[in-house]
Amino acid sequence: MTTLMQVVWIIALPIIALLISVLFLGLFRKVTARIQRRYGPPIYQPVIDLVKLFTQRSNISHGLIFDAGLIIAVAGSLATVLLIPAGGIHPLSSSGDLLLIIYLMLIPPMGIALSAGASGNPNASLGVSRKLILALGYEVPYLLVLLTVMTYGETTSLLSVVQMQAGSILSWGVFRFPLAALATFLVLPVMLGIRPFDIVGAPQEIASGPQVEFGGKYLALATVEHALHLFIVIALFVDLFLGGAANLGTFFLKMLAVFLIGVFIGAVYPRFRIDQALKYCWKWPTLFALSGLILVMIIGG
Amino acid sequence: MILELLLIIILVAPLFGLFIGWGRPWVRGMYSLLVALFPLVTLATLYGRTIAVQYAHLPFVGIDLSLRLTPLSWFFGIAVAAIGLFALVYSFSYMKDQKRLDLYYFLFLLVNAGILGVVLSGDLFTFYILWEIMSIATFLSISFRGGKALPAGLKYIVFSVVGSSAMLIAIVSLYVSFGMVDIVALATALSGATVGYAIFILVMFSLAFGIKNGLLPLHPWLPDAYTESPTPFTVVLGGMLTRLGVYGFLVVMYGMIGLPLVQRMSFGPVNYGIILAWIAGITILFGVFVAVFHDDAKRILAWSSIGHGGYMILGLALAGSLTLAGGIFHALNYAMSVSLLFLAVGAVEYRTGTCDLTQLGGLCTRMPVTFIASLIAVFGMIGVPLTSGFVSKWLLYKGLILDGHPFLAFIALVGTWGTVLYGYKVVHNVFLGQVPEQYKEVKEVSWTMRAPMIVLSSLIVLFGVLPGMPLKAVSAIQTHLGVTPLDTRLFGVPKALGELNTLNIFFAVLAAGLVGYGVFSLARRSKRVSQYDNYAAGARVPVGQYQHSVKFYDQADRLIRPYLRDRIDDFYAWIAGVSTGFFEQLRKIYTGNVNTYATWIVLFVAVLIFMGLLGWKP
Repeated sequence: MTTLMQVVWIIALPIIALLISVLFLGLFRKVTARIQRRYGPPIYQPVIDLVKLFTQRSNISHGLIFDAGLIIAVAGSLATVLLIPAGGIHPLSSSGDLLLIIYLMLIPPMGIALSAGASGNPNASLGVSRKLILALGYEVPYLLVLLTVMTYGETTSLLSVVQMQAGSILSWGVFRFPLAALATFLVLPVMLGIRPFDIVGAPQEIASGPQVEFGGKYLALATVEHALHLFIVIALFVDLFLGGAANLGTFFLKMLAVFLIGVFIGAVYPRFRIDQALKYCWKWPTLFALSGLILVMIIGG
Repeated sequence: MILELLLIIILVAPLFGLFIGWGRPWVRGMYSLLVALFPLVTLATLYGRTIAVQYAHLPFVGIDLSLRLTPLSWFFGIAVAAIGLFALVYSFSYMKDQKRLDLYYFLFLLVNAGILGVVLSGDLFTFYILWEIMSIATFLSISFRGGKALPAGLKYIVFSVVGSSAMLIAIVSLYVSFGMVDIVALATALSGATVGYAIFILVMFSLAFGIKNGLLPLHPWLPDAYTESPTPFTVVLGGMLTRLGVYGFLVVMYGMIGLPLVQRMSFGPVNYGIILAWIAGITILFGVFVAVFHDDAKRILAWSSIGHGGYMILGLALAGSLTLAGGIFHALNYAMSVSLLFLAVGAVEYRTGTCDLTQLGGLCTRMPVTFIASLIAVFGMIGVPLTSGFVSKWLLYKGLILDGHPFLAFIALVGTWGTVLYGYKVVHNVFLGQVPEQYKEVKEVSWTMRAPMIVLSSLIVLFGVLPGMPLKAVSAIQTHLGVTPLDTRLFGVPKALGELNTLNIFFAVLAAGLVGYGVFSLARRSKRVSQYDNYAAGARVPVGQYQHSVKFYDQADRLIRPYLRDRIDDFYAWIAGVSTGFFEQLRKIYTGNVNTYATWIVLFVAVLIFMGLLGWKP
C-alpha cells in the first residue's frame, strides 16, 4: 500500500465504517419490528435521526467534562476502527496489535462513563455502574478467547491472525478453534448491549442509563459511538473467526450475517437482570473459552 | 568519591534539619528542599555511568564495604529521589498545620536517604544496615499521627522485622560460607554453590522482599500502613519504598544468584520462576478485586498497590526479555500513577477532611487540576494507550503470550478490568456526580500541592507517547543483569519485535478527537444547566438525599465478595491474639512480690537437684 493510498484509507475507512454501522442500526430496528409483526421504520431512519439531532436548536450541557467525555469516546472509537483490518484494508495495522485494540476499546466506554458521571444524574451513574459490571462479565470469556487465538498463532498481531486463515474455508478460525468462536458468539449480544442484555440503557428501569442526560448533538455523538462500537465488535469477530475478507464487500457481507443472527436471537428474549447476566457470562461462555484455550495449549498451533 | 559524599550528606543532613528550622517554617522548608534536591541532581548528572567504590574495610571480620552505582540502582535511585522531592514539596502546604514538624521532615528525609542508600549499596552489610534505618524511620513515619496509626505502624514493624531477620540469616550464612558480603564477589562465588543452598538463600531473601512488596500472603501490613500514614508519606511509601521489594528481587535473583542457577531450581516441570509468577498472579487478582469493593480512597489505593506489585513480580519472575522489561518499567509507571493519585486524593482530603468515597462527589468543577491529575493517574494505572502504563503492560502481556503463559496473561488482563472498576469508582465518587451542599465552597489547593501533580501528570503522558526515553534505561538494566536487552525506539518497539508505534496512535487519536470536536462545535452551542436540572423519567429527584455512589458495584459485590475475604489477615490476627494471650500469662511470673520470686528460685533449684538425682548431666 502506498503512502497516498494509506492516507486516503485513513480518512475513508472511518467514514465507511460509520455509514455501514448506522445502517446496521436501522436494520436492527427493521428486523426486530418484522419479527414482532410490526412494520418498523425505514432502514435509513438512524441517518435521519442523526441529522435531526445534530441540527437541533437547543442543547443542554452539564459542563466541560460532560462535553469532553463524549468527544473522547468518539475519538477512541474512530482510532480503533483504523487498527482493525477490514477486507484487505488496514491503514494503521503496523502501529498496533490486538493488545492495543483491547486497550483502545476501553477508551470509548471510559469517555461515555466520564460524560455520564459529570451529568450528575443518579440514573446515569447507575447505568455506568451496570456497564462496568457487565463489561467485567463479558471480558472474562472474551479475553480467554483472544488469548486462545494469540496463543494458537503465536502472535499478537491481528493482521497475522487474518493472514493465518487465508486459503480454504476450513482454515477459518471458526473451524480451527470452534470453542472460542462459540464462546464469543455467546457473549456477542452482551458486548453489543442488545436484548436480552440491554441492561445498561434499560429505558423502563433507569431512564436509558448513561444516555439519560444526552440530547441533541450529545445524543447524536453517543449514537455515533454506539454505532462504531457495533462495527468494531462485529468486525473483530469476522477477522478472528471468519477469515477476514479479500475485499470490503465480502467483509461487510460477513459482518451482516453475524449481526443478523445476533438480532434474530435477541429479538425474542426479555431482559436479564445484571446478576443473571454476570452469571451467564461466567458460566457457559467462560467454560467454552477455557476449554478452547486448554485444547489449543495441548494441541499447539 | 561522589557516591560516599552523596550518601554521607543525605544521611547526616536530616539530622541538622532538626535544629535549623527551629520556629521558622520557611528555613526548614528551604533546607529540606535542598536536601531532597541534592540526590536528584547528583544522580541526574551520573546518568549512564557505572561506579564502584570501596569505602571501608572492617578488619575484625575481614569484609570490604562498598557502594555501587549500576544502571539498575540509577533507575530506582532517580525515581526515589524524584518522588521524594515531589512528596516533600507537597508536604509544605499539606502538613503546615500539624505539630512536631521538625520530626516529620527529619523522618521523611531519613526514609528517602535510607531507600537511596539501599539502592546504592554494593555489599550486603551496607544494604542491611540502611534497610534497617529505612524500616525504623518508616515505622515512625507511619505512626506519626498517633491514634489508629500506632497499631498500623506496629504491624508494619513486626512484618518488617520478620523480613529483615530472614534476610540477616541469609547474609550471615553467606558470610560464613564464603567469607565475603560484596554482591558482585558473591555472584562469582555462588555460581559454584549447590542448588539446595541457593534455594535457601533465595527463599530467605524472597521473604524479606515479598513482605516489602506486599506479595500474598505477606501483605497484611500494607493496607493499614498506607491508610494511616500522613498522605505525603504514603506517596513515598506507595511510590518507591514498597518497590524496594522489586529492586531486591532483581539484585538477588539476577545480580547475585544469577539466572542460570535460578533456572536450575526446578522440581519436575515447576521451577522457582513459575511458582513466583503464580504467587504474583494470585496477588494481582486478589489485590485488585479487594480494592474494587472498598470505600476509602486510600485503602483502595493500598490494595491496588498490592495487586500491581504482582505485575512487577510477574514480569521479573519469568525472566523473558519482554516480561522483564515490562516488569521493571511497570515499577516506574505504577510508582508515578499511584503517587499522583495519592497526591490527588490527599488534596481532596486536605480540602474536605475525608477520603471516604461515599461522602464526596462532584468536585471536578471545584478542583479541576486535581481532577485532571487523578484522571491521568487512573488512566496510567489501567494502562490506557498514550499513558506510560500501557507500554509496560503491553510488554508484559506480549512476553507472557509469546512465552506460552496464556493463563498468567489472562490473570493480568482481568486484573486490568478490576483496575478499571476501582479507578472509575474513585474518579466518579470524588469528582463526578452532584456536589454535596457542604462542599459547594471547596477551592483548588495551593500551588505547592498542584505543582507535583502537574509534573507527574506530564511525565505519565510524555512517557506514554515517547516510551523510548525510560525504556532506554530499562534496556541498560537488562544488559547489566545479563538478559537479552529490549530493542526500543523513541516511540515504541521496532517492527521485528511487534506492532507498537505510540506516536502514530497519538496522532490518530488526536486527529479523531479534532474531528469529534469539529463536529461538536459545528452544531449549535449548548446551554449550561445546574446539577439539579435532571431527568428522572417523571420522578422527582430529592435534593441532597440521593447518594448514588454508596455500594457502587453492589450487584457484582454480592457475587464476588464471598471469595475476597482476607483470610490471611484473619490468620495473622489469630496468631497475634494467641501470642498476646501467651505472653500475658508469661507476664504473670513477674508479680513484683519478693516472696514469689523466692518461690520460683527454690522451685528451679529443686528441679535441678531432682534432675541431678535422676542422673542428668549438663
